[in-house]
Amino acid sequence: MSIAIAVGLLTAAAVYLFMQRGMVRIVLGFVMASHAANLLLFAAGNTAYRGVPYIGTSDYGEGGDPLPQAFVLTAIVIAFSITMFMITLAITTTHDDDTENDEESAAKVLSAADTGDTVSSSVDTGVTGAVAAGTGGADASPISPVHDFEAQDDDSAEAPNTDPETGEHPRREDPQ
Amino acid sequence: MTLLVLLFLTLLLVPAAAAVHTLLGRNTGWFAAIALVVLGSFSLIWLPDLIAGETVAEYLPWIPTVDVGIRLRLDGLGMVFLLLVLFIGALVMAYSARYFSVKKKTSDYYIWMLLFVFAMSGMVLADDMILLFVFWEFTTLCSFFLINRSGDKAPAPAQRTLLITMAGGLGLLTAVLWIIVRTGTTSLSEALQHQVWGDDAVFTGVVAVLIAFAAFTKSAQFPFHLWLPDAMVAPAPVSAYLHAAAMVKAGIYLLLRFSPVFEGVVVWQTLLIVCGLITALIGALFALQRHDIKEIMAYSTVSQLGFLVAIIGIGTPTAIAAATIHVIAHALFKSSLFMMVGIIEHEAHSRDIRELNGLRKAMPVSFIITVLGCLSMAGIPPLFGFVSKENLLKGFLSAGEEPALFGPGLTWTITLLGVLAAVGTFAYCGRIVLGVFTSYTGTGKHDDAKEPMAPETAHEASLSFYAPALLPAAAGAILGFVPFLFDGLLTASTQASTTANYEPHFYLYGGLSTDLMLSVIIMGVGLVAVLTRSRLDSFVPRQIFPWTGVEVVEKMRTGSIAFGRRVGDVTRSDIHAVHLTAPGIFLVGIFIAGVLNVGDVGEFTPGHTRMTDWVLIGLLAFFLLGTVITHSRTAAVVLAGGAGFVVGAWYFALGAVDVGMTQLLVEILTVVVLVLVLRKLPRKFHQVSRSRTAVSAVVAIAFGIAAFIAAYALTGRRGQSPAAQWYLEETYETVGALNTVNSILVDFRALDTFGELTVLGVAGFAILAVLNSAFSTSDSHPAESKLWIGTPLDHAADNTQAMRSVFNWMAPFIVLLSLVLLLRGHYDSGGGFISALVLGGFFALRYLVAPSDSAVKLRFDYALIIVGGIVIGAVIGLFGFMDGAEGSYLRPIVILEGIPLPWGTDAGFTLTTALIFDVGIYLAVIGAVLVALDRLGQAQRYPAELLKAHMKSQGQKTSQIERIEMHAGDDPGDVPLEAEGEGWHPGPYTGNRSTGRGDEG
Repeated sequence: MSIAIAVGLLTAAAVYLFMQRGMVRIVLGFVMASHAANLLLFAAGNTAYRGVPYIGTSDYGEGGDPLPQAFVLTAIVIAFSITMFMITLAITTTHDDDTENDEESAAKVLSAADTGDTVSSSVDTGVTGAVAAGTGGADASPISPVHDFEAQDDDSAEAPNTDPETGEHPRREDPQ
Repeated sequence: MTLLVLLFLTLLLVPAAAAVHTLLGRNTGWFAAIALVVLGSFSLIWLPDLIAGETVAEYLPWIPTVDVGIRLRLDGLGMVFLLLVLFIGALVMAYSARYFSVKKKTSDYYIWMLLFVFAMSGMVLADDMILLFVFWEFTTLCSFFLINRSGDKAPAPAQRTLLITMAGGLGLLTAVLWIIVRTGTTSLSEALQHQVWGDDAVFTGVVAVLIAFAAFTKSAQFPFHLWLPDAMVAPAPVSAYLHAAAMVKAGIYLLLRFSPVFEGVVVWQTLLIVCGLITALIGALFALQRHDIKEIMAYSTVSQLGFLVAIIGIGTPTAIAAATIHVIAHALFKSSLFMMVGIIEHEAHSRDIRELNGLRKAMPVSFIITVLGCLSMAGIPPLFGFVSKENLLKGFLSAGEEPALFGPGLTWTITLLGVLAAVGTFAYCGRIVLGVFTSYTGTGKHDDAKEPMAPETAHEASLSFYAPALLPAAAGAILGFVPFLFDGLLTASTQASTTANYEPHFYLYGGLSTDLMLSVIIMGVGLVAVLTRSRLDSFVPRQIFPWTGVEVVEKMRTGSIAFGRRVGDVTRSDIHAVHLTAPGIFLVGIFIAGVLNVGDVGEFTPGHTRMTDWVLIGLLAFFLLGTVITHSRTAAVVLAGGAGFVVGAWYFALGAVDVGMTQLLVEILTVVVLVLVLRKLPRKFHQVSRSRTAVSAVVAIAFGIAAFIAAYALTGRRGQSPAAQWYLEETYETVGALNTVNSILVDFRALDTFGELTVLGVAGFAILAVLNSAFSTSDSHPAESKLWIGTPLDHAADNTQAMRSVFNWMAPFIVLLSLVLLLRGHYDSGGGFISALVLGGFFALRYLVAPSDSAVKLRFDYALIIVGGIVIGAVIGLFGFMDGAEGSYLRPIVILEGIPLPWGTDAGFTLTTALIFDVGIYLAVIGAVLVALDRLGQAQRYPAELLKAHMKSQGQKTSQIERIEMHAGDDPGDVPLEAEGEGWHPGPYTGNRSTGRGDEG
């Protein structure tokens, strides 16, 4: 029963933190939720058996269930990496980790750009692909700016900052 | 040589060509052509057997539990298409070697084309319906990528093509699955013999419609004909292959393959004949409207495919034989003509017949090849196309042989419509030849005229360029005299796609007959149409419907994108409440259902709760309460870490030594990284309203109670599980390990662990990707830091000296401990996860004692450590197959026994592949920890491009940092000094920046 209480406490804390503002609190809530889930896995293995589950260590019938232990062990490490990822998201914003600043929300800013009719406006629906392609069938491709079969004669399609002589990208010098 | 080897070799050609491409560049086309000719010649060795009426079949298990296998079967029908796929493929490859310029990137082109060859070969050989579907979809994907790579106008047509052909693929999947369910076999040849086809008319009818739908989308039949001219956005060699041997022929193959079971099925015949004839007629009409020779060619293919579909719909053995020979003839003349389109646009720089003018003199060989191809298409004797067209007419007339289905009136209606389409063919052939090689412009009174080019500006292509086009055209001219060569193969093929025992015979002239009369009529009327071409141009309407097909499909495409966006809109928000509401409601529902249904739960196993538990509960409650009520970020992180420690202590109390150690180490690392990150965030949490706090508390307590009730009611009541008993009793005998937990991770459930490693790696790379591509918030410097200047607090190096000395002494022992834990994992607490976290602790400590973050910046590519770990795990798994018949992926194999190490059993330490797998775990975990520490712990790092954009938006000069280039995967490093010039300040802090960055000297 004690482990059920612990699961309940952790879940309550997790849900409370989920309902707050700001990514760090949500991340902490996520950590609590993963603790709760892990303890629940242990509970499923039955906490009446608490011996160390090594061969020859516990008396017969005393050893704990090793299967939930193995599950939880990997779960902890995965929860760690996911926590780190969420933390990364918390600091890759403009000012702070606010999750309820709707104006600066990345979701809003990014979707505003493509909710317009940009998908269809660039497509001429009056003609089939055959005509749209123009001569050569590869007009203004990023790979071949002119034609499939003609050498490109301007460098506009090359990556910016390429060295005009070697064609290689210069590496940034060490600022020190 | 077996079918499997043949198929494997076509697949092997893909990496081979990619390797050759690094040496030969575009000339890889020659290599691929030679290889395909060799493969095609090898497959000819089966020809005598096939003509003798045998088939070749092979089987390799794939998914034996559901009876899906790599069943290959070669019969006459498959052979016809296989030879087309390989030999036309070879021609197109040879042509590509000169079509593309030297500078054009062609490596991916050859890869996709050869994959296309593989997919088509696999499709015509497949005798397993699932395999057939897989290859069918694979051809769709290959064509999509080939079209899509053709420039920035290409994606829209490529997506339209994909939408249409994928829809057909779903039709095929539905049909195939239903056939498998009804016939109980996945073997295509067996399923087609099943009696259910005759017994269940509804089943047969519905499957007929689905198969016809799939084939219509693939073969561009009305109303799905639109994608074919749309796909012409691809370069000429792709079009040549798509039209002559691949893609569109896949649909014809499917129809021919299934036609034995649909003989006399009215819905099948009606669909095929009606849609086929409509397609043939509108294809011809559209071809007469257009001025772009590539588009004319595309519609001519549509029209010819219409012929084929209609004739397959008639379904008599004569008609099926005619369809098969026309497939061959069409492949020859259409591949040649499409290659000519490429050559003409290459040499004359236009495809518009209004501009192309009098090229007869400038390009004499091209003229001859085009004329040969067009004469064959128009069905002029003595070319091969004449023979096939004669047979088509015979096939139409043969409908009368089945008076039950076709009366004489219907037969003649169909035949005359076919004749009309053939006249159209004749007319547009004239349009192509005259439009390109004479001054004819094909403009009627509705068209805009264009300035014709000067014929002298064009010149003839080189022999190596036009030879691949010349070969099929010449073959079409010669084969017309010897069409009987095909008698044997086409007998085998016709018998494969009909139930009759029919033996077709082909000849150039078989005496006066009805079909010859019809041919004469076609030629006569066609000639009139060509002679009166200028009047015809004004007569043919330029627009028939108020909307174009492209518009309709484009609407569908944008509509599906918009629909997808609308679905996504529901969750497109940073406000996580939106994301969590739905799962929350589901959880409540599950809880209520559980409460209503569980009933009596029984008694706890004695001893499940102990006195010490209450101590832990008290501590946990204290830390959790602190975490939720504090307003300080640092305090919350530290208190949450405390809660984590209590949970770790609980694991120890439950006898889970390994888990407890993992928990403690992870908790330390989490707190360290969180504290490092907190520098970039405000010190206090955001304020929320009092009422919201109250609501949150109520909801949280409700969920907590629910979780408690669930855990209380559903656990702790049964004894030890059978799995636990098995592991505790059998682990040593099975794998020789004492630590059952570690053994489960690396021996018994290693594949799960491997999947988890991959998750770790993905998380690590996701962190790198996010930080390399987005701004992070600036470090926030406390206001007090100004006061520290000049005081001892400003000397970070001195302040950390004491801790650093301790660290220097401890470091070797931490590393040693980590290695010991790794080695002994099989016998005592330890293993890859724990030892890696210990080493992670070493790095964390190194961080904490450093005077500044740049002093401990890692100078090696730690992302590669993750990759190395996963690769080790993946490769070592393969050794598991060495265990004989019992072998499986990641099965542990003993390498060496009885090593004298302090761990292990009486028999000594046993080295197994599981330990090497554990090393893989070790590296992957270390890599992930290093990513988190190094990238989140370092000072602000800006990707230079974003930095530039940011500075520009603030009105700063960016000229000095013009040449900063970020590469994917590179660590962007510290903020470039150039960027920290005048006017640049990271974040709100404006004071002397040397304090903020610590002591670097």
